[in-house]
Amino acid sequence: MSEPRDAAPADATAWTKRPEGGGRFAIWLIRGIALKLGRWPARLLLWPITLYFFLRRGPERRASRDYLARVLPHPPGAFDVLRHLHAFASTILDRVFMLTEQFRRFFDIRTHGLEQLHRALDDNRGAILLGAHVGSFEALRVLSLERPDIVVRAVLDTGQNPAITEMLNALNPAIAQTVIDASQEGTAIVLAIKEEVERNAVVTLLGDRARPGELAVPVQFLGDTAWFPASPWLIAAALRTPVVVCFGMYSGGNRYDLHFETFASLVEIPRRERQAALARYVQRYADRLAHAVREAPLNWFNFYDFWRPHATPIADPQPARAAADAGAGGTARA
Amino acid sequence: MATAQTPAEHELAKLLVESLNLEHVSADQIEPEAALFGSDLGLDSIDALELALAVSKRYGFQLRSDNQDNRKIFASLRALSQHVESNRTN
Repeated sequence: MSEPRDAAPADATAWTKRPEGGGRFAIWLIRGIALKLGRWPARLLLWPITLYFFLRRGPERRASRDYLARVLPHPPGAFDVLRHLHAFASTILDRVFMLTEQFRRFFDIRTHGLEQLHRALDDNRGAILLGAHVGSFEALRVLSLERPDIVVRAVLDTGQNPAITEMLNALNPAIAQTVIDASQEGTAIVLAIKEEVERNAVVTLLGDRARPGELAVPVQFLGDTAWFPASPWLIAAALRTPVVVCFGMYSGGNRYDLHFETFASLVEIPRRERQAALARYVQRYADRLAHAVREAPLNWFNFYDFWRPHATPIADPQPARAAADAGAGGTARA
Repeated sequence: MATAQTPAEHELAKLLVESLNLEHVSADQIEPEAALFGSDLGLDSIDALELALAVSKRYGFQLRSDNQDNRKIFASLRALSQHVESNRTN
């Protein structure tokens, strides 16, 4: 735990406090328009909405430009940022349609490597399906309704986007029931994950956003150091469950491509070389994610300063183990 | 200061130290009433998971995510031990 405690900027939690775009009224409006008019007319409205966000939301605009500069072959201009915001708005709109009964009518969802997930489940140890804030994870949850033989549980912080969550729940309560609420206490969350994995279910986690105070690991990502959460790996290691990565990329129009790839059939993080083992897994995952967003750059949906230093807890929460962890440095226990 | 560990608490303390590889605390040193999480012993949710796995293996019952009393059960060695003693099947 040698990371300086004061490395955290004062606004480390700022992204979690950003207003949810437009609030409940706008979301209610989008939902109404979407369901009344249908997908293509609703999509026409996305450009004025995108323009509004572009003009009104400086931090998101700057975060987009900073990210695009890392992945595009040319310096990003205003139009690139607009396309990026538009892609995000498109996937939000599509969530409405993905949760309706006849979503197949609207979308061309192609899966790649789904058999790897099936194979991972053959051992009866469940699976952690590790995604990121890219494209549409919703596309995946919908697929699970089509494949009732696979039980999928998403760990989601419903407190983060209350208005969107509320709307999605109203649209499809069956999907709401498959969510493990990440705003509960940590112990309840990990025990819920344990119970699901023990009945050979797939538990989806997102591996790119470390919340303030959460144990995080520094990795090289798109040219700079970024902090990724350690808990998905620690959970997978404790439960001896395989990790399959999944990125559901929006490919424009009505097409989504879901990529599945077995990442580790067993995650091994020995106590003695905990930091080093963690760093290896997380770096490999970060490289896989970097590859995915380079292939489909507009799918990156972390609209905040992703490369800011990560806040470590002020007080060392683990005096009993501090000496064992000292020297390896750079991580903090949640 | 310290209240003595009961035999059941001592057995659980040993399991805790072993399963979490606590190198700088011995089973005898865990205060029965001290907080397991946060300030005193400083365990976290991953430790809770490993502890739950060890408990189910040793005592033959599951610590459940939907138990409303989880906060109380995991509060201290004493509380956890009481829960173990009233639910153990071996």
